[in-house]
Formats: sequence, C-alpha cells, structure tokens
Amino acid sequence: CSRLHTKPTISPTLCLSNMYQRPDMLTPQAQPNPNLDPTHIQEHFEDFYQDLFDELSKYGHIESLNICDNLADHMVGNVYVQFREEEDAANALRNLTGRFYSGRPIIVDFSPVTDFREATCR
Amino acid sequence: RSRSKSKRISGFDMAPPASALLAGAATAAGQIPGTSPTI
Repeated sequence: CSRLHTKPTISPTLCLSNMYQRPDMLTPQAQPNPNLDPTHIQEHFEDFYQDLFDELSKYGHIESLNICDNLADHMVGNVYVQFREEEDAANALRNLTGRFYSGRPIIVDFSPVTDFREATCR
Repeated sequence: RSRSKSKRISGFDMAPPASALLAGAATAAGQIPGTSPTI
C-alpha cells in the first residue's frame, strides 16, 4: 500500500526498513536470478537472520522476528522485530540508530504492528 | 562451509567502504567525471 502510516511514539515493535537484500537483488533494477543456487540464498538468509537475532537479543527478549523477502518494491527487505517490552524496543532503537549493516545504514523506526497474523493494511 | 558461530563475522557495524561513499557522493551530485572538451 502507499499510505503513510503514522509511526507510534512507543511500541514493542521496530521496523528496520529495506535491511535484507537477496543476493540476486542487490540493485533496484535487478531481476530474480533463476540460476542462483537456492541453497546459497537460504544460507545467506539464515546468516542474516542469525546476525539480526544475535544483535537484537542484546536489547531484550524477542517475541517475534519477521523478515520480508518479497520481490516488489513495497516493504522489500523490511525487518520487523517485536520485543516483549516496549523499553527493550526503545533501547534497541537508540542503539541501532546511525549504525551500519553490511555497508548500508540501518533505518529503524517504531512500528504499529503488534500481531503479525493481523498485520495487513486496513 | 563452516556453520560455526565464531567464524562468521556479523554484518553489523560494517561501514561502507570509503570508495563507495565517494562514488555515491559523486553520483548524487550529478557530476560526470571527465575532461572538458577541447575545441
């Protein structure tokens, strides 16, 4: 969707925008590469997930960690992490802001999503 | 490939290489590297 959702001032959930990049989608114009080894993509994804989980666990108990691997422009590579406590999310937000991941700046905001089963645009 | 935790380096705090930053800045400024044409 193209709506500008309002960002809450406090939330247990953080959104890290466009953080995950598939190995075959490193440029905006890239097309999915059918020749790329699916095992390689899976390992790349798991490494990324592990990195995130390790780092985010430092700030509190993680309830949920979702990574979007869609191929459309919208929300591509967005990472949603839900902490058990809002303070933990706030702490993570403070600690991640201004840092880099794999040579790219981390863009982190609170997200209004608290239930990923219900996480559709309304 | 080894899946051991200690060997793999996390991508966190991996700053962009200086060359990439410079290249990005030049592109963003819309500058075309080259020489002025000789008449």
